[in-house]
Amino acid sequence: MTKNVCIEFKNVSKKYKDLLALNNVSFTIDKGEVFGYIGPNGAGKTTTIKILVGLITEFSGKAYIYGNDIQKDHKDLHKLIGYHPQEAGFQEWRTIDHAFKTFGRLSGLNSDYLENRTQEILKLIGLNDFRYKKIVHLSGGMVQKLRLGQALLHEPEILIMDEPLSGLDPQMRYQFKEIIKKLAKSGITILFSSHILSDVQDIAKTIGILNHGQIMKIGSPEELQTSFHIGNILEIVVEKNTPLCNNLEEISGVASIENFNNNRQLIHLNSDFNIDLIINNLLRKIVEQQCRIRSFKLLRPSLEEVYLKYVGGETT
Amino acid sequence: MSLKLLFLDELKGFAKSKVMIVLWIGMPLLSFLLQFIDQRALEGMSISLLISIVVSSIGGTLSGIMLSTTIVSERNRHIYELFLIRPVKRCNLLLAKFLAVYLCLVIAISLSLALGLIIDGLTDDLSELYLNSTIESFTIGISSMAITCSIGIFFGVLVSSVPVAAILSVYLGSQLSTLIILPTIFIEVLNPQLLAITLGITLTTIIMGINLFLFSRKQF
Repeated sequence: MTKNVCIEFKNVSKKYKDLLALNNVSFTIDKGEVFGYIGPNGAGKTTTIKILVGLITEFSGKAYIYGNDIQKDHKDLHKLIGYHPQEAGFQEWRTIDHAFKTFGRLSGLNSDYLENRTQEILKLIGLNDFRYKKIVHLSGGMVQKLRLGQALLHEPEILIMDEPLSGLDPQMRYQFKEIIKKLAKSGITILFSSHILSDVQDIAKTIGILNHGQIMKIGSPEELQTSFHIGNILEIVVEKNTPLCNNLEEISGVASIENFNNNRQLIHLNSDFNIDLIINNLLRKIVEQQCRIRSFKLLRPSLEEVYLKYVGGETT
Repeated sequence: MSLKLLFLDELKGFAKSKVMIVLWIGMPLLSFLLQFIDQRALEGMSISLLISIVVSSIGGTLSGIMLSTTIVSERNRHIYELFLIRPVKRCNLLLAKFLAVYLCLVIAISLSLALGLIIDGLTDDLSELYLNSTIESFTIGISSMAITCSIGIFFGVLVSSVPVAAILSVYLGSQLSTLIILPTIFIEVLNPQLLAITLGITLTTIIMGINLFLFSRKQF
């Protein structure tokens, strides 16, 4: 394990009676990295997260935080981790202030530090005016912010967020994303799950796609797009009213060609062939024909298409 | 450290949710109302003795219901997750709840009984015999309450439905709490107070041990 690795899962499996929730899940997250964990509902995201924060203690395989075995050393790891749960509730009699006091003191914070930290957090999450309000009277979005707030109280090095954006309206979603971006900039390691790709793609540096308890693919958004060869399409645009390139289908690796508006061609490439070789051969042919090319580009699949490929087109 | 914090937190919760006020005012009020019962219907029983029997049995039932339903409801609403991700021992969560509810009830019963004794004192009904039977009844009452509290926690940890947990804790709690007076009916030489305290502590410790074991193995 390199020094920079913060979280490591090694062949972790978890079974609930007959249901295999996680099947040999392995991944690593570096220190300071923002890791987006996506998959449809029931894929095993929450199980992974609960193992990481110590709420699920019975599983097979190994999970480490900074090289410490989660099952053996979890008591010492509590202080490093902040956990934003998906649906954890608060007792109805608590105000935000009281919740922060209780959780802060249980995390080992002294009164003076806790008071300063509470003010900082309330400012960050925008709940300053609601400090002494009972939690039952807050909106769903505010409670979601409160869940984030309690996770940050003890200044954790690692923030684990389970579906932090679910159930939020667009404005609240934007605010929440901005807070996460701000936290990411501060160098905190973040793992956050979602079943919506757009939630993670503009925040996460690395994305892990989980389906049926198995990691399907891990990589940066760009890596995921480039690794996904099926359906790669090349777009060629020529000067208007000039001939299109001919006989391109003769090149091995070209699956089919579609012509549009007399100046645009879509070349569907076969994923079994080397994409660079196909492009070289295509360029050679185009130069031979002296086509007046105005645009020549590879249309990468969208991240949404990559995601749907790996989760088998399942929608949530 | 976390046990003290959690215990104080539970007490604060009771105070804020008005449960404590209902117990500490409601039960003595009930004691006060009992003095208006026709003295002939009491067949020579003192008010304090009647109060200790009534409030102990109500307190026992109430504690069982309170603990079982609170734990099930809090588990279902994932409230414990925010505690367990901190350096908090799982057993302390349950112990704090047990101690807070038990202490509140003992105080409520003591207040009721004190009121009963004052009433008896004012009406010249307070003989030594009555006083002894009242203390005996109070001892048996708080011992049986400890058992019903632990039974309440047992069903709170084990069952997922609030009504089922309430029904089971009332039924089994009251059945098991009678165990502490049963032997004195058959063996006259046994001291009921001593037996109640011994069995109360033993059974409560065993049941709480089982509760803590089950809770520590629970996957949230």
